[in-house]
Amino acid sequence: MLKKYLSLGKVSWGLMTEYRAQILIWMLASFLMIIMMIVWLGISAQGAVNGYSSGDFISYFMIGWLVRTITAVWSSWELDYQVRQGTLSSLLLRPIHPIHNEIAANLTEKVLRLLIVLPIMAAVLLLTPATALRLDALSILAFLLALAGAWMLVFLSDYLVGMLSFWTSQTSAFINMLYGLRLVFSGIIAPLAMFPESVQAALRWSPFPYMLNFPTNILTKGLAPGDLMFGFAAQLVWVGVLLAVMRLVWKRAMRSYSAVGA
Amino acid sequence: MRYPKLFALFLKSSLLVELEYRSNFIAQALMGVFWAVVTFVSVALFFQHTTMLGGWSYGQALVIVALFTMTEGVTQMFLEPNLQRVVAMVRDGTMDFVLTKPVNSQFIATLRHVRFSGATNLMIGAGLIVYAMAQLSYAPGATQLALFALMFGLGMLMLYSIWLAMSASAFWFVKIDNMQELFRALWDTARFPISAYSGVLRALLTFVLPVAFMTTFPAQALLGLLEPETLVIAVGLCALLFFLSMHFWRRAIGNYSSASS
Repeated sequence: MLKKYLSLGKVSWGLMTEYRAQILIWMLASFLMIIMMIVWLGISAQGAVNGYSSGDFISYFMIGWLVRTITAVWSSWELDYQVRQGTLSSLLLRPIHPIHNEIAANLTEKVLRLLIVLPIMAAVLLLTPATALRLDALSILAFLLALAGAWMLVFLSDYLVGMLSFWTSQTSAFINMLYGLRLVFSGIIAPLAMFPESVQAALRWSPFPYMLNFPTNILTKGLAPGDLMFGFAAQLVWVGVLLAVMRLVWKRAMRSYSAVGA
Repeated sequence: MRYPKLFALFLKSSLLVELEYRSNFIAQALMGVFWAVVTFVSVALFFQHTTMLGGWSYGQALVIVALFTMTEGVTQMFLEPNLQRVVAMVRDGTMDFVLTKPVNSQFIATLRHVRFSGATNLMIGAGLIVYAMAQLSYAPGATQLALFALMFGLGMLMLYSIWLAMSASAFWFVKIDNMQELFRALWDTARFPISAYSGVLRALLTFVLPVAFMTTFPAQALLGLLEPETLVIAVGLCALLFFLSMHFWRRAIGNYSSASS
């Protein structure tokens, strides 16, 4: 399997280095987080907000940016396009599930994105004395695990929504809607601690906090052992649910799928 | 006299196309509502923790949210669909058919297609303004309304100019998704009062990429908070942008030598 991924990755890398400028611009999509950070900083200048000082906000949004970079996905658009154009047919003929193609492309592209994000993030965090990160081995390990979980949640939910294109031509509306929900409820526009208690309590049972807020908090504010365990359990359960639903949906899709015009 | 008539025809044919794809229309309209809610939440969240955002109260900031939503509507209705067509026409060479028509090319290239689903955003925005006025228990006078109409009109004309310049650059670059992304990213700043930003960013968003003239300043006009000099700057900047982009468009079509022939 690893060998397959390496060769799929090589192909993606070639494609990506071809479109370098494109990727630089994609980074700007994360500009929203920077805007939100600036505005929150304007408020925290008058005193901590729900326990978040200016330094906490900077740490949160910088690490959040890193998490968002690593969990960025676009496979649903790809799948929608492939279904509409009928190019999925040739991918289905390969002895490997088309999703692996997407996973390899997604992971390869991360390398390129990190080359840009990591230096900027590190510079901001180092040059701002008020920021503080938990960089002990245990926190870092937990962070990496949570990050992997977050990536799976984002990727699987995105791919699942992309599968709607087997039945509707309006998939882009659903993809955008999932994106909007993630913006608000995964902690992209603000740390979830800024939401009213009742909203936070309800969100605990949704998959969204575990896509960004959860990993980010491990490295910034830190989490109580109980919350940490709950978070990992939630990630595990949601990944399981998504995988199960995806298998089911994929099976049904394959039964009904007939490529357009070919 | 010819142009209003032509525009009416454009509207009619766009409407017919839209009625052809009803599920798309409904999906787009619903997305308009959805994104308006997202914008609203992203602003309202701040007021859970503060009474003022960059010197704007909750009710006042709602006017900005309303104008942000309305501007999104204008973008979706007029700017986006036409830009997409221009890019496509430059790529496959059908731009020739536009240029050979005995009508101003800029007129066709920027107003030919109208996507009516964007109108939901205009309605949501208008509703939100009324709600904000009720929140503030404030009723704008005739002067404020006139100033608001003028400022918002100028803002939309600036927006139009920016999109026209993007269309024109398609003649050289063909692919302009990057430019659009860049503009979209900066446009996101417009959902908050310009005073929420400081220093370089504020200057950039006022004079270089004047999103402040699309939401913050028209909102000030409606609330009776507009400084007279802002109006003067708005007129000057709008004239400059409009003139420059029009000039740029002319050079672009002068430079154009069709595709593959």
